[in-house]
Amino acid sequence: MEHSKTPFNVRMRRFYRVSLEGSINRLLVYLLFGILLVVAIYPLIWVFVNSFKTDIQLFDQSWALPKVWRYQNYQAAWNYGIARYILNSVIVTTISVVLVLGISMLAAYGLARFRFKGDTFLLFFILGGLMLAPEVSLIPLFRILSGLGLYNTYWAMILPNVAYGIPFTTFLIRSYMLGLPRDFEEAATIDGASIMGIFRHVVIPLCRPILASAALLEAMRVWNEFMFGLTFITSEKLKTIPVGLMAFSGALREQYTVIMAGIIISAVPMIVLFLATQRQFIRGLAAGGLRG
Amino acid sequence: MKSKLLVLVSLVLLASLVLTACGAPAAGTESGGSKDEKVTIRFFHKWPEPEQLDYYNYVIAEYEKAHPNVKIEMEAASDEAYKDKIRVLMASGDVPDIYFSWAGEFSWKFARAGQALDLTDAMMNSDWKDKIVMAAVEPFKLNGKIYGVPMRINAKFMAYNKEIFAKYNLSVPTTWDEFLAVCETLKANGEVPIAFGNEFPWASAHYVGDFNAKLVDPETLKGDYLLTADANTLFTDPGYVEALRRFKMLGDLGYFNSGANGISHSNARSSFIAGKAAMFYLELEEFATLAQDRGDDWFGYFQLPGGTGGKGDPKLITGAPDGFMVYGKTKHPAEAIDFLKFVTSPEMGYEYVKRLGIPSAAVGAVTEDNSLPSVRGGLAQINAASGMALWMDTDMNIKIVEVYLPGMQALLTGSKTPEEVMKEVHDIAVTVQSELK
Amino acid sequence: MKTYRWKRWITPYLLIIPAVVIMLVFVYIPVVENIYYSLFCWSSIDPTLKYIGLDNYARILNDKIIPIALRNNVLYALISVAFQVFFALILAAILESRVIRPRWGSIFRSAFFLPSVLAVTVVGITWQLIYSPNSGLINQFLRAIGLGNLAHAWLGEESTAIFAVIGVSQWQWVGYCMILFIVAIQAIPEELYEAARIDGASAMQQFFNITIPMIRETILVLTTITVIGGFKVFDIVWVMTAGGPNNASNTLGGYLYRVGFRNDEMGYASALATLLFVITFALTFIQLRIGRTGKES
Repeated sequence: MEHSKTPFNVRMRRFYRVSLEGSINRLLVYLLFGILLVVAIYPLIWVFVNSFKTDIQLFDQSWALPKVWRYQNYQAAWNYGIARYILNSVIVTTISVVLVLGISMLAAYGLARFRFKGDTFLLFFILGGLMLAPEVSLIPLFRILSGLGLYNTYWAMILPNVAYGIPFTTFLIRSYMLGLPRDFEEAATIDGASIMGIFRHVVIPLCRPILASAALLEAMRVWNEFMFGLTFITSEKLKTIPVGLMAFSGALREQYTVIMAGIIISAVPMIVLFLATQRQFIRGLAAGGLRG
Repeated sequence: MKSKLLVLVSLVLLASLVLTACGAPAAGTESGGSKDEKVTIRFFHKWPEPEQLDYYNYVIAEYEKAHPNVKIEMEAASDEAYKDKIRVLMASGDVPDIYFSWAGEFSWKFARAGQALDLTDAMMNSDWKDKIVMAAVEPFKLNGKIYGVPMRINAKFMAYNKEIFAKYNLSVPTTWDEFLAVCETLKANGEVPIAFGNEFPWASAHYVGDFNAKLVDPETLKGDYLLTADANTLFTDPGYVEALRRFKMLGDLGYFNSGANGISHSNARSSFIAGKAAMFYLELEEFATLAQDRGDDWFGYFQLPGGTGGKGDPKLITGAPDGFMVYGKTKHPAEAIDFLKFVTSPEMGYEYVKRLGIPSAAVGAVTEDNSLPSVRGGLAQINAASGMALWMDTDMNIKIVEVYLPGMQALLTGSKTPEEVMKEVHDIAVTVQSELK
Repeated sequence: MKTYRWKRWITPYLLIIPAVVIMLVFVYIPVVENIYYSLFCWSSIDPTLKYIGLDNYARILNDKIIPIALRNNVLYALISVAFQVFFALILAAILESRVIRPRWGSIFRSAFFLPSVLAVTVVGITWQLIYSPNSGLINQFLRAIGLGNLAHAWLGEESTAIFAVIGVSQWQWVGYCMILFIVAIQAIPEELYEAARIDGASAMQQFFNITIPMIRETILVLTTITVIGGFKVFDIVWVMTAGGPNNASNTLGGYLYRVGFRNDEMGYASALATLLFVITFALTFIQLRIGRTGKES
């Protein structure tokens, strides 16, 4: 899918006459969207505001602004280990994304640019992973990972994440490659460039936009991955944000406002990344984000 | 040329996969090489709360100071998560050298599977036995062998707000009927009689477990909990139904706060502390939390009265010690035992009581200068009790617990009757019993 | 020249091998192993496999929690389709129409999308606090507007727990699906709408006669993905209620995890996983069949 045949704002400029009926409709629509806007973001604002209170204030008047802004809550949350969770999430996400992109890029190139015996089978073999729910493999994976001595290591999260990330990413990159003209590659072949030379100097640069989008989608998925982290990690030192935050709230069960501070700290990296890269995000989704 | 690079990359990827596959198990635990190599003892418990971690970090620092060749690696997971994690760790083979366990069936199952080290010799043939309250060791014994060392002593009490009780001229109830009367007076005056948070249903298990112990003959109870009774009679004693009925009555008559199933235990405790409820059923270890801001003068406590007509032992107190076990296949049994001795020593126990207000199981750890009067009083009641009814949720097979406890939640919401719950418990008990044979 | 041909022959395989190996080890072998394990009785504490044939499957038929879990999965799927497909489509269509000014449009888009970038635990714990019976936002709001009698222990009552959890999922994902629809609508050639307008078609007629047929593919795919997602759901349920109270909010995925890693019945959990596998596989198969009647994606 292309991003847009007609730019959004161009279409928006083509306004028609507005009738009375139209303006009432418009008012209703704005009202509806206004309510939805509140529903969508007020919960986070509520948590943010209350994260600066004491527990007593939270119970008494959770609507009001805090009388005194207690930054200590953030300090307490940070010191308890949220910092460590963030670091772990960064490590796991980075390694997973690099591996997924590297492996998928190679596979997509092979599948998009070569005809060979078994190519259809291998295509289905890889894309077939899209159909399988990770839950199904949970128990055997647990045995495999313990057998390999990888239980309770970063790899216990990274490897399953990579395996379940490859099908979609390969699909995404392959579709994009199929849409690319072959002219450059053919020219390079005539110039005597090797296959890997073409791959490195022609194909990868051409695929840069889709790689960026794929990386973003994959990062979002791995960052939020919960089940593998929950099942394959015990050590506090290795927990990522989704799993760590649960342990965090379990340990601080009485200190609601500190938990709220922890929630905000955990949410900030993704919100910032999203706001900073909205365009790529949406392009990534456009390119094939049809995945739940 | 470049395709060689590709071959290389693929091979390296493959090789690294295979290498991690085969090489890793050996890398898991280092075998003792040179003499000055550090021994690492992994230590896993269920207290991730910051103040608890501070205490254990202190203990570890003290120990490592005295034993520079030993390094203690601590991990902690909170209650519910711990129950899952310890089993998973056993399965992964990545078992910590020392791990937390409740007493009773929860610990025996590790002992039976060879996952717990027999500590009988280490304890009985040293001065260790003189430094631990031996009564608290009892529930860790299986077939006469000691598999666990108690860290703390704990029991359940009903705490009450003295001010509210005084306001309505209430006195501490000594029978079940008196207890109901107290609740009724409170309710009639618009107070919430009992704060109750049953988000995790162990909270209701503490009530029902206590009722069971008081209503069912101890021998019958033991046969049912441990599945040694005849299959047809498992959990069929009418006392079980009566116990559930009592629990349900407290809910039906409006003596609990509303929405108990959606409130956590600690949330309920907060509302009791805030004076929004007159009573709260809690563990001795929580006295310190009650006393945190206002000292321990504002609340009193009593044992949930047994009532009439029960075949059980009315003088039993519900509670259990909990503590630590050593992994059966640990590479460093001597070091693990030595550290465990240190953790449970009277000196560290003293510090434990002082910092956390929780009664330690070490002899003489609770003294007048490090503990609250209420904690000492509670301990005295435990000592005076005829025995302890262990936590029912850690004293029976987990599959039965998984039916019994949700059943209690269903009782509260009215979707099941006591008879229906006990029928289901009976059925699952029969199944589990036949599986074990 | 010969080496070139050899290289040309071997290269694609070398390119694909890393992906194939990883998927084999961590996706396909586990799925097959899972079926094997489901024929045994074994636990994590004592991992010796005891062959019991199809007993685990027979047990599924008699397990009273399975119907509850499946009902919840179905509810999850249906409600998700209503919100994440139909409601999200309506939102997308309105945002792409002329009713909303572009500047507001982009604010709405970003705001609605925002919840989907949050980690499931962040969302789950936030809403636990919001649903909390006493201090939570919802009950406080109800009491403030005089509807205190509607206040519930949302996550603690058997009748409301699963809906409370499903509601949170809608909150998180409607905006995401809306963006997917917006993207699809933007790909529709503007000329179609212009032609329709010249013919005097109303906005409604344009929506039903142009928008829906043109993004039929997206609607279909999103519907099946949402339905499958409803059967796979695990994380939000586990974070918010762990399946309680009295299993009222359990789903197949949550029950599987609980059976395996809490009750320590790995064999039975494997059988449940196989059931999940069969369901998702069947749904995917149906999706592919429906997809084929459209065009190739």
